[in-house]
Amino acid sequence: MITLQLLVNGLALGAAYALVALGFVLVLNATAAVNFAQGDLVMAGGLLGVALAPHLPGYLPLPGLLLLPVVLVLMAGLGLLLAAAAYLPLRRRPPVAVFISTIAAGIILQNGASVLFGPEPRAAPPLLGGGTLDLGGLVVAEQSLAIIAVAALLIAGQQWLFGRTQLGRRLRATAQDPEMARACGVPVTAMILITFALGTAFAGAAGLLLANRYFVTPTAGGDLILKAYIAVTIGGWGSVPGAVAGALLIALFEVGVSSVLSYPVALGLLYATLLVILVARPQGLFGEAARRRA
Amino acid sequence: MMGNPLLRVEGLTAGYGGAVAVDRLSLSVAAGEAVALLGANGAGKSTLLKAILGLVPATGGRVRLAGEEIGALAPERRVRRGLGYVPEGRRVFPGMSVRDNLEVASRLGWAERARDLERVFALFPALEGKAEERAWRLSGGQQQMLAVGRALMGRPRVLLLDEPSLGLSPKLAGEVFAAVRAIAAAGTAVLVAEQSAARALSAAGRVVLLRLGRAVHDGPVETLPADALRDAFLGG
Repeated sequence: MITLQLLVNGLALGAAYALVALGFVLVLNATAAVNFAQGDLVMAGGLLGVALAPHLPGYLPLPGLLLLPVVLVLMAGLGLLLAAAAYLPLRRRPPVAVFISTIAAGIILQNGASVLFGPEPRAAPPLLGGGTLDLGGLVVAEQSLAIIAVAALLIAGQQWLFGRTQLGRRLRATAQDPEMARACGVPVTAMILITFALGTAFAGAAGLLLANRYFVTPTAGGDLILKAYIAVTIGGWGSVPGAVAGALLIALFEVGVSSVLSYPVALGLLYATLLVILVARPQGLFGEAARRRA
Repeated sequence: MMGNPLLRVEGLTAGYGGAVAVDRLSLSVAAGEAVALLGANGAGKSTLLKAILGLVPATGGRVRLAGEEIGALAPERRVRRGLGYVPEGRRVFPGMSVRDNLEVASRLGWAERARDLERVFALFPALEGKAEERAWRLSGGQQQMLAVGRALMGRPRVLLLDEPSLGLSPKLAGEVFAAVRAIAAAGTAVLVAEQSAARALSAAGRVVLLRLGRAVHDGPVETLPADALRDAFLGG
C-alpha cells in the first residue's frame, strides 16, 4: 500500500515536472535555444496563483481549478513578452546570447518576486479541495489526483494541437526546419511566439499545481530548471515524449529514494545517475536521432 | 518566350557576405513555361532561386510576380503570393508524416486541402501508400516527390526547383521530371536549376545558362548552341 501511495505521489510530482519539461522542450525545438528562465516561470505561475486567489470575484478564495485558465492566459502573455525581450532581438546571434538573456530574464523574475512577495514560502489554493480520498485503504491527497488529471489533460491537449491541427503542423515544421517552414509559407516568427506562449503557460500551470503541496518561494525556479534540463537530457534532447517520460522518471526516482533514504541523498543520486546516462547513453534513455523527433 | 512573364527577375544581385554569387541577372518565366537554369557548380543557380524566394538577401535588382514587386517581402509572404520552392536536398520535415508534410504547406480549408492532397497523390502514386509514414523513412526518390508535392500544396503560380534529380536513380529522376512537365503543362511557371543538362532540357522549353553568376545565354532549347552549353559547364 505504501508503494502505491508513493507511486501516486511520484506521478503527481512527475506530472507537474512533465509540464515544465514540455514547455522547455517546445521552446528548445522551435528556437534551438535553451530557455533558462523556465524554472523561474514556474515560480511566477505559482506566485501568480497565490496573488490572484484572494482577489478574484467576490474577494473570496477560489479553488485553484478556476484559477488555472487565468494563470494559463496571463502566463502565455508573459511568454510573449519573454520572446519579444529575450529571444527575438537575439535570434540571429549565437545561441549563447539567448542562453544568457533567458538567465537574465529569470533573475529579473526572481528579484521581482522577492520584492513583491518576500522570501517566505507561499501556498496557492488547492485545485479542488485540500482533503484526502480513501480508495480502498489507499489514502490519496485530492490535490495529487487533481495535479495528475490536469497535467494529463494539458499534455493531451498539446498532443492534439500538435498532431491534429494545421497550427500544430506549422509549429512542428518550424521546430524541425525553420527556413524550410518559411519556404512553405509558414509565418515562423508567429509560430515561435506561440511556442513561447505555450511553453510559458505550461510552466505557469506547473507552478500553480506545485505551489499548493510544495509551496513556492522566489528562488524555487533554480531547482525546477535543473529538473527540466535533466528530464529533457535523459528523455532524448529535443524529444517531446522523451521529456514527459524523463520528468515522470525523475519524480518517481526522487519520491522513491527520498522515502527510503532522504531528499538530499535522492538529489545526489539523481545527478550521479544523470552523469552515468550522459556517459553511457548520451542520446538519452528514449533518445531518437534529431531527424526523427516529433 | 510564351505570353506575359509571370516571374520577372531584373538585374538581381545576391550573395553571401561580400561574395557576389548572382550578378545583375535578369530572366523571366511565363505561365505554363518550363525554363531550365543550367550551369556548373558555383554558377549561382541555387543562390538565384533562394534570392527569388528571399532566403538569400538581394543587394540589387527586382523580383516581380505577375507584375507585383515582391523583392521586399519576407519569404513566407512571397510564398503566399504564389511562389513555390523545392530545395536542393529535398529538406522534407523528417519527423512529420508524409500527409503532414504535404498539408503544412497548404493555406486552404480542410475540404480544399483534401482535394489538393488527392491531386498530389495522383501525380505521385508512390506517396499515397506512405501517407502516414514519417518522411525520414522514405527513399530519396520518394522524398523528392514529397518535396515537389509539398510545394504544389501551396498552389504556386511559379515553381522553383533546385536540383530535383540530385542523388536519384535515372528511373526516379525520369519520374520526377515527368511530373515537372505535367506541372508546367497545367499552367504553372517552372524554373528548374539542374546540373544534369540532358534531363533538364528534356523538360524545358527554354534554357538560361549561368556562368559566374551571370546569364550567358537565354533562349529556346532548340536554338541552344552546343558550345554555349560546353562553355557554361567547362568555362571558355
